[in-house]
Amino acid sequence: MKVLVIEDEPALQTAIRQYLEQQGYICETAPDFPQAMAKVNDYDYDCIVADIGLPKGNGLDIIKELKALESEAGIIIISAKDSLEDKLSGLDLGADDYLTKPFHLSELNARINAILRRKHFDGNTNIHFNEIRIAPGSKAVFVKDTPLTLTSKEYQLLLYFIANQRRVVTKTALAGHLWGDAYDQAGSYDFIYSHIKNLRRKLLEAGGEDYIKTIYGTGYRWSDQ
Amino acid sequence: MRPMKLLTQTTIYFLLLVLPLLTISTFYLFSQFNKEIGHEIDEELLNDQIQWLRYMDTVSVHSPVFRLSTPEFSLQPVTQPAQAKPVLESVMLYQDIEGKKTPYRQLTQVLSIHNNSYLLTIRKSLIERDDLIKNIFIVMLIVFGGLLVFILLLNRMLSKRLWRPFYQSLEKLHGIELKKMESVSFSPSSIKEFNQLHTALTAMITRIHADYQSIKELTEDAAHEMQTPLAIAESKLELLLQDETLSDAQLHAIAQSSEALERLARLNHSLLLLAKIENHQYDTSQPESLQHVTKQYLGLLDELIKDKKLTLETQLTHDTSWQMPAALADMLISNLVGNAIRYNYTGGKIKLQLDDQQFTISNTSSWPAIPQQQLFQRFKKGGAVLDSSNGLGLAIVKKICDTYNLPISYYFENGVHTFTISRFSTNSKPSFAA
Repeated sequence: MKVLVIEDEPALQTAIRQYLEQQGYICETAPDFPQAMAKVNDYDYDCIVADIGLPKGNGLDIIKELKALESEAGIIIISAKDSLEDKLSGLDLGADDYLTKPFHLSELNARINAILRRKHFDGNTNIHFNEIRIAPGSKAVFVKDTPLTLTSKEYQLLLYFIANQRRVVTKTALAGHLWGDAYDQAGSYDFIYSHIKNLRRKLLEAGGEDYIKTIYGTGYRWSDQ
Repeated sequence: MRPMKLLTQTTIYFLLLVLPLLTISTFYLFSQFNKEIGHEIDEELLNDQIQWLRYMDTVSVHSPVFRLSTPEFSLQPVTQPAQAKPVLESVMLYQDIEGKKTPYRQLTQVLSIHNNSYLLTIRKSLIERDDLIKNIFIVMLIVFGGLLVFILLLNRMLSKRLWRPFYQSLEKLHGIELKKMESVSFSPSSIKEFNQLHTALTAMITRIHADYQSIKELTEDAAHEMQTPLAIAESKLELLLQDETLSDAQLHAIAQSSEALERLARLNHSLLLLAKIENHQYDTSQPESLQHVTKQYLGLLDELIKDKKLTLETQLTHDTSWQMPAALADMLISNLVGNAIRYNYTGGKIKLQLDDQQFTISNTSSWPAIPQQQLFQRFKKGGAVLDSSNGLGLAIVKKICDTYNLPISYYFENGVHTFTISRFSTNSKPSFAA
């Protein structure tokens, strides 16, 4: 899977690239508008992560170019401007998703994952992790062919963990993913714990392994190692 | 005094000016006529007297004593000495035909004819004069009244016509929106002053729009400049978390730094939001009903409510007519409902009522009443320091209410904090949707 990261801040660009490469993507980068346009024209990508505010041009024009080229690539806009107008015009032009800076790398990764699944496999290809099988089309989950009954939040958690497997995900990243901005109002993230506890219990009861490692005071890691 | 329409005011001033003027001139005319006619009658009387004197000078030789008496003329011998000048006066005399007293003008003079004294009295009835004056007065009134009505109508018509460009411009100014300001233009008028007004208004609008643009760009740039370093720091910390050689304590420290950065990002976001509301820089294209947003947030925050074992009592209307821009409705409801959960104690209560007139939310809390003077101030947390609070929630709520002219009130009673937002309603009470 090839991803192009268009971001002018070198430090942020490196961080995104490193995280995505750790998750198994082939990652290329472009620091400004002309280079991004050149790469978009010369190569095919599965997904493009584009900042709107770029030197020498606007990220929205890259989306237009991609659409003109009839590219199949998924497009995620990342912008420091939390402006509804930018968001709407980006989505109108054909972007698949929009993330406001600052964001969690695990969130960006999960979104890239979701887009690629939708685009390339029509959402019908099963996701496998050892004995766990997820059919995204029907939102069904099996452990060694035993169907699991998960709540919507537990299902989202499981997908998020598998997308970010072997990585530490923080409680705030999880809360943000599951509840959006509403989690700001919580005052604590303890309520996440009960969802994780239930997910872990259901997986164990169906004969699965305990892949969720708790990292004290920090977050969780989904790992089979 | 209640402000009146320009046209009404000019009409009133015009009436105040013209009515006394017309009244005074009518009375002046009346008295002038009166005087003139009186003068005329006196002259006629004197003329008659001279005729009589001449006549009697010629006649008296044959008949030495005269005694004549008619209502209009009498000549009677008297013993008084002769008068040099006649006396003119107005008298009321009884008239047999009419059966009442009627006004007369009379001339009296004691004359000496062939050494005999006579009192000469000549009278003229004033009834005809009074009728004449009455008629003149009525005609005057009709003419003046007609003139007044005509002038009033003309004035109204002219004013309406002349002021039309002004009212058109006023209409345009009413409908003006900050975002679409640059597209406002005024059509040229044939009146110099209005054109001057239009030029001044256009200059002012251009300036305001430029200011608005620069403020908008400033807030957006500020957001960009602050969010980008935050994004870098956060992503680096997240990468650092993946280092498997780190101890739990080190990971915990990194996670705490990351959370602190997130708080900073949210704080920045909230401050920008306040600035945007102050500058009216929010998207108004997608209005959302409060009822819908409230339901949505109660759903989103359901876990938190259950987690704290709070009893939620809701009375939500089906009416969706109370709307505001989606972004603002979100902030308003999420802050109020969020506060009600956040500052509650485990096992506490939240009561939420929304109808088409009022939004009321009350919650139990172990926190004391918020002092009124710092209720909606920024960074005043009512003495409370909660890690996740940025002290801007109520300031944002207040700002949104102010923007929409929604009165918001707070009161505290028996450990229950209550916020009430009233819908700024007109006099007519909207009916409930079925």
